Amino acid sequence: MLWHKAWVETRWRALVGLGVLLCSAGGAVLLYPQLMKLVPNAPPADAGSIIARQIREAADLMRDYRGYVFAQWFRQPQLWTIMAAILGTGGLLTQGAALFTLSMPVSRERLIGVRALVGLVELLALAIIPTLLLPLLSPVVGESYPLGDALVHALCMFVAGTVFFSLAFLLSTAFADVWRPLLLTLAAAVALVSIELLLRRTGAHGVFGVMSGDSYFRTGRLPWLGLFASAAASAAMLWLAALSISRRDF
Amino acid sequence: MAEPSVIDVANLRKAWADVEAVNGLTLQVPAGSIFGFLGRNGAGKTTTIKVLLGMVRPSGGTARVFELPADAPASSVEIRRRTGFVSEEKDLIDYMTVGEIVRFTAAFYPRWRRDLEEKYLRAFELPSDRKVKLLSRGMRTKLALLLALCRGAELLVLDEPTSGLDPAMTEEVLQALVAHAAGEGMTVFFSSHQIAEVDQIADRVAIIERGRTVVCGALDDLRERYRRVQLVFDGDAPAASFRAPGIVRVRRRGRVLTVLSSSGADAILDEARALAPVATDVVPVTLKEIFLETIAAEE
Repeated sequence: MLWHKAWVETRWRALVGLGVLLCSAGGAVLLYPQLMKLVPNAPPADAGSIIARQIREAADLMRDYRGYVFAQWFRQPQLWTIMAAILGTGGLLTQGAALFTLSMPVSRERLIGVRALVGLVELLALAIIPTLLLPLLSPVVGESYPLGDALVHALCMFVAGTVFFSLAFLLSTAFADVWRPLLLTLAAAVALVSIELLLRRTGAHGVFGVMSGDSYFRTGRLPWLGLFASAAASAAMLWLAALSISRRDF
Repeated sequence: MAEPSVIDVANLRKAWADVEAVNGLTLQVPAGSIFGFLGRNGAGKTTTIKVLLGMVRPSGGTARVFELPADAPASSVEIRRRTGFVSEEKDLIDYMTVGEIVRFTAAFYPRWRRDLEEKYLRAFELPSDRKVKLLSRGMRTKLALLLALCRGAELLVLDEPTSGLDPAMTEEVLQALVAHAAGEGMTVFFSSHQIAEVDQIADRVAIIERGRTVVCGALDDLRERYRRVQLVFDGDAPAASFRAPGIVRVRRRGRVLTVLSSSGADAILDEARALAPVATDVVPVTLKEIFLETIAAEE
C-alpha cells in the first residue's frame, strides 16, 4: 500500500513530465527538416559572443542526424533537470497527513525508502520512454537512430538526473513546502551549469556533461567516472534524507 | 500484585529549543483502564503522546509502552502495530475516499476487524465513496476513530478526540468509545482539556501542568481523598500554615480559611483545633475543582 500511495501522490507530476518530455523529443525529431535548412545561416566559427559560438557549435554537431539528435535533445538538459527536481520534491512534510502516516507500524526509513524508489522508477521511465521515441520517430523524417545509442544516452540522463532528484528529495526533508526545495535545486543546477561552461575550455566535464553523454557521443566511451560520481552523490543525499527524517521530531 | 502497566513513563523530558514542553513527567497507565490525561493547552499532553508513539524523541527520562522503549525505532514500530491513534488535528489522507483510506489502513494491520469496520461505517453513517477532504469535522473525527478502533489494537491513544465537536457529536463519540473499550477490554489513553468528558468516561486520571504530573490516580480514589476544609473565625482568618500531609492549597478570605487537601480532612481538622475556628465544614470536591485548584497552586 505504501508503494501505491507514493505512486498516487506523484503520478500527476510523473505523467505531466512524461507528456512534456515526449512532446519535446517528438518535436526535436519532427523539426529536423526545418532546422537543417537554418544550419547554413549559423554564425561563423570566429563569432564573438558566447551565444553565437554556441549556435555555431550546435550547427557543427548537426552535420549528421546523430549529431542533430545529440545537439537538439541530449544536450538540452533544462527540461530534464526541472523534471528530475520536481519529482524529488514533496513527501512526508508536505502531504498534510504526517501524523497519520507516522502512526502506521512502519519505520521511517521504509517510508522514505519507498518514496525515493518510486520517484527513481518514475525518473527512469521519464529518461527511457521519451528517448525511445527518437529511434521510433526518426523514419518519419527519413532518418534512423540506433536504439543502443538512445538507451545509453537515456542511462546517462537518468544517472545524472538522480543528482537533482536527490538534492530536491533531501531539501524536502528540511522544508515543509515544495517550492523552496525546487527553487534551491534549480539554483544549484544553474550554478553547476555556469561552472561547467567556465571549465569547458579545460576539457573537464561536470554533471551536465555526464547527463548529455558527451563522451559517448564523441568517443563511444561511457563517462564511467561521472556516472559513478553522480550515483555516489545521489546515494549520499538520499542517505542524508533518510537520516534527516529518522531523527526529526514531528 | 500490582496491575501491569501498558504505559510507563518516568521523569520524561522534552525540550524544544528553549521551551521545556515536558519536564519530568511520570505516570503509569494500567491495562484495561480508561485513562484521562488532563492539562491546559500547552501543558505537554500532545508532546507526551508523540513521544509514546515514536514521533518525537525525548530529551531525557523513559517512556515505555507494552514494556517496550518508545524511543527505539524497532520497538516503536511494534508499539504502533498494537496501538490505535487519533491525532488532535484528525489529519487523514485527504485525497483518498473513505473506502480507500479504510483499505489503506487495514493493509498495515493483520488483526484488522472487518466486522467492526462494517459496524462503525453504518453506525457513523460514513459514505465510502466520499473524499476525506469533503467530510465535515464531525465525520472526520468519526472516520479517524473508526480507523483507530478497527486495528485490533490493545491500546487506544486519542489526542483531544472531541476537540471542535458540538455537544451532541461529542456525546456520540464518547459513547462509542466507552462501549468499544468495554466490549474489547482495551486500554484507552486520551488527552483532553475538557474536564467534563474526562469525568464522564475515565476511571483513572493524570493532571499535568508545565510538563509535570501534578495529580495521578484512580478517579474514585481522588474523589475519596480530596477534601475542602472550610474554617470560619470570629474575626479575620489567621495566616496559618499546616503540617498535615497532602495540603494542596490554603486560601484566606476575610473570616474564612479554606484548605484543599489530597489526603482527607482528619489531620487538618486536628491541627485546626488549635486555631479555634467558630465553625468547620468538610466538603468533597469535584474533578473540576481538583483540576483548577491544583493548577492554581502550581502557579
